[in-house]
Amino acid sequence: MHVLHRAARAGAAIVALIVLATGCAGGRDRAGGGALGVVTTTEILADLVKNVGGDRVRVDSIVPPGGDPHSYEPAPADAAKVSKADATFTNHLLLEEHSLIKTIDSNVRKGVPNVSLAEAAESYGANVIPLVENIGLDVIWLGLAVRGEGTGRGATRSSDVELAATDLEGPGELAVYLTEALGQPKVYFNSADGLDAKDVVALPPAAHTHVNWAFSKPGVYRLTLEAKLRNANTAPVPMGKGTFTFAVGVDPRTIGGADKATILDDGHTDLAVDLDGAELYAWTDIGRPGARSPGGAAAAQRKVPVKDVIIDVPNRALEKVPDDRAFSFLGKPGAQVHQLPQAVIGKHVHGEIDPHLWEDVRNAKAYVQLIRDTLRKRDPGHAADYDRNARAYLADLDKLDAFVRAQVAQIPADRRQLITTHDAFGYLAQAYSMTVAGFVVPNPAQEPSAEQVAKLTQTIRNLRVPAVFMEPGLARRSAVLTQVAKDQGVKVCKLYGDAFDDAARNYVAMMRHNATELRKCLGDA
Amino acid sequence: MSNLRPRTAAGWTGLLAALAAAVMSFLPAVDAAARVTPSLHPSVQAAARVTPSPSPSVQAGERTVTGRTVIADGHVDIGPRFLDGKWTVQVRDDTVRPPVWRNVEDVVLHTVDAAKVKVPEGSQFSFLGKPGTEVWVLPQVQQQGVLWPGWNTQDPQVASTINREVTWSLRGVTGPGRFALFVNGDFGAPKVLFDGSRPYPQQMGIDLNTHAHGNWVFSAPGTYLLDIDISGRTLDGRQVNDRRLLRIFVGAGSPDAAFSVPAPAGFVAGGTTPGTGRAESGQGFPGWAWLIIGVAGAAVVVAITITVMARRPSRRAAAAAGKEA
Repeated sequence: MHVLHRAARAGAAIVALIVLATGCAGGRDRAGGGALGVVTTTEILADLVKNVGGDRVRVDSIVPPGGDPHSYEPAPADAAKVSKADATFTNHLLLEEHSLIKTIDSNVRKGVPNVSLAEAAESYGANVIPLVENIGLDVIWLGLAVRGEGTGRGATRSSDVELAATDLEGPGELAVYLTEALGQPKVYFNSADGLDAKDVVALPPAAHTHVNWAFSKPGVYRLTLEAKLRNANTAPVPMGKGTFTFAVGVDPRTIGGADKATILDDGHTDLAVDLDGAELYAWTDIGRPGARSPGGAAAAQRKVPVKDVIIDVPNRALEKVPDDRAFSFLGKPGAQVHQLPQAVIGKHVHGEIDPHLWEDVRNAKAYVQLIRDTLRKRDPGHAADYDRNARAYLADLDKLDAFVRAQVAQIPADRRQLITTHDAFGYLAQAYSMTVAGFVVPNPAQEPSAEQVAKLTQTIRNLRVPAVFMEPGLARRSAVLTQVAKDQGVKVCKLYGDAFDDAARNYVAMMRHNATELRKCLGDA
Repeated sequence: MSNLRPRTAAGWTGLLAALAAAVMSFLPAVDAAARVTPSLHPSVQAAARVTPSPSPSVQAGERTVTGRTVIADGHVDIGPRFLDGKWTVQVRDDTVRPPVWRNVEDVVLHTVDAAKVKVPEGSQFSFLGKPGTEVWVLPQVQQQGVLWPGWNTQDPQVASTINREVTWSLRGVTGPGRFALFVNGDFGAPKVLFDGSRPYPQQMGIDLNTHAHGNWVFSAPGTYLLDIDISGRTLDGRQVNDRRLLRIFVGAGSPDAAFSVPAPAGFVAGGTTPGTGRAESGQGFPGWAWLIIGVAGAAVVVAITITVMARRPSRRAAAAAGKEA
């Protein structure tokens, strides 16, 4: 059997050589006559393989048209398909239901390439996003710091820098506090009982600390901080005053002057007192406004003047006040607050990345190159075919990428908020400058809790988004989203996530639809 | 891996540099010892006071200093860096100016009795023991007079050449009591990162270019040995890993004793490093040369130590660096 197979392969190679030698472009042998049998888990992957393999391959997707890879349970027939395959492609990284991956891994013949695209595509330049475990932690990490030596102003290591909250404008209250190791809160500022002499924190020179920032209502807040340097036996020396702007639950780009501001929505920032310059500013490691460093690459810290700062406190940061007397300063138990946490450890699931890479077209290009090289290796006799097909398709994908970019660019910057049925659009958001504002559940195989539904409702209401997006094929999850949207009087549009439907039968059509739909539903509203 | 083997010198220049470094290292230490605990100004005593974390970011080319050191107060981090191209886990000692890095085996982290707290009521913290029992906690938020150990992945070469995150593994712990490392989540809820009562290895991911702190808990006084490693994958797909023995002494008594507690079978060996701070092995070095250098190094270091101690009682126990390889 094995020998026969190899003989057939050699034969095919010889045929290919003859075809090449005679320059007969139309002489490729047809499917059935030695075509590679390829099995993929999803239709999207099958489509990419078809575009690279052309009629040199027969592609089968195990998840049927419109099916959900997160929940599809393989049938015995699927195992049989896999056992006959000449190559298999999975996305992997928890996209597919585990039993599906097991079916592939345990039935694939020895020596047959079994490629986990999402994982391996990284070496082809795919950009991956770590899987977020707790979206409440996927926010800016905001602390307080004292910078500079202040020696010219008489500062010594025993000096104190007093930072006072002197004024707060906004629809609700702000509490800035620390929780200590065994859970005890220590309040630094709290506007609920007025801002006065109590709302002062004493920082030593070179201090750096992290605190919780809890806002009682959504809206725009302006917090005025005033710093003084206090040396032994002398009058306090003013160290600057400034008003920081917070966008709580609302899109920061809706605030006047936001186009010239620096929106701090990620990474690590300290509101800093500079003893040398006698001024306040934000000291941040965030890159250009709205830009994230891919893969968390190192970004140097820099100074942002107070007047240019808008701190984003998104609806992801919604929390309920616990039923614990120690936290009653935040409001009644169960009340919702937007809270930036003092520690963001545990934001990501260790070692795991978001599997929906193809929502960034450049990542699909990495998949295509990996598919091309896998097919070439499996079927070297037709390497030139795979090269040619891949080259043409990659050019199409470049055009597609430009198209998506151009469509999203037409949406006003303050309306690029994405609310979806499941967390499948992190790549779309990152690649095309959108924001994932919320979703019903992280993974469609889960049931939404009452709290998740409440949070979603709150998010839609606070952001006043013109539309939310459901995915075809996720009818049950869409029902929740449709209901919330109806209650809020918001349009329901369609975005393709993990599967095609009858209106879009291939990857290019699906992404073109996504781009046009975003522009129409958010931009033209 | 290579850290199991005794270090050998990279060459004469490295050695001289190391000697110089050993000498230099005690000069900033004087400065650190001279630092007084900032006193509260009377008028601000009522206000919450925050203690400092002096050096938030790691600079390129920070020095490695060798020699046994006990650190009982101030800020330190554990973290990976590239030393002459080699992935190495070290302790960044931020209690001296400028901060220096130390080989993990050269350090005892001392958890003093001021860190003692009682386990609170309620089930949230039951993993620390029964409510009311005393445990030692090095807290996530700095507490004056108590060591503040954290971890960082801010070495510029680490931050720019590693893919996404590093993995910190705990492979084993021995000690007279329980050990746990946790962080405070929303409203102070504990999220346990390492727990000595769970099976090993235990792992956590650390995002690149970050610096963080947690609560280190010990349930009884004495010496704890933590078998740890930090691994990662470079952008070009190379796996890097370094395994080290971290010594922690808890409570009153002599923290130096922790240096002589042997690592149990199956743990990574934890021999302290001789004069060179470089983790490179490669060119061999004759034993007689080591002896001369070791004795000379020890003499210099001891002399300086004595001078320093005579001038001001130091809270750090400084011992001679000249151990035979």
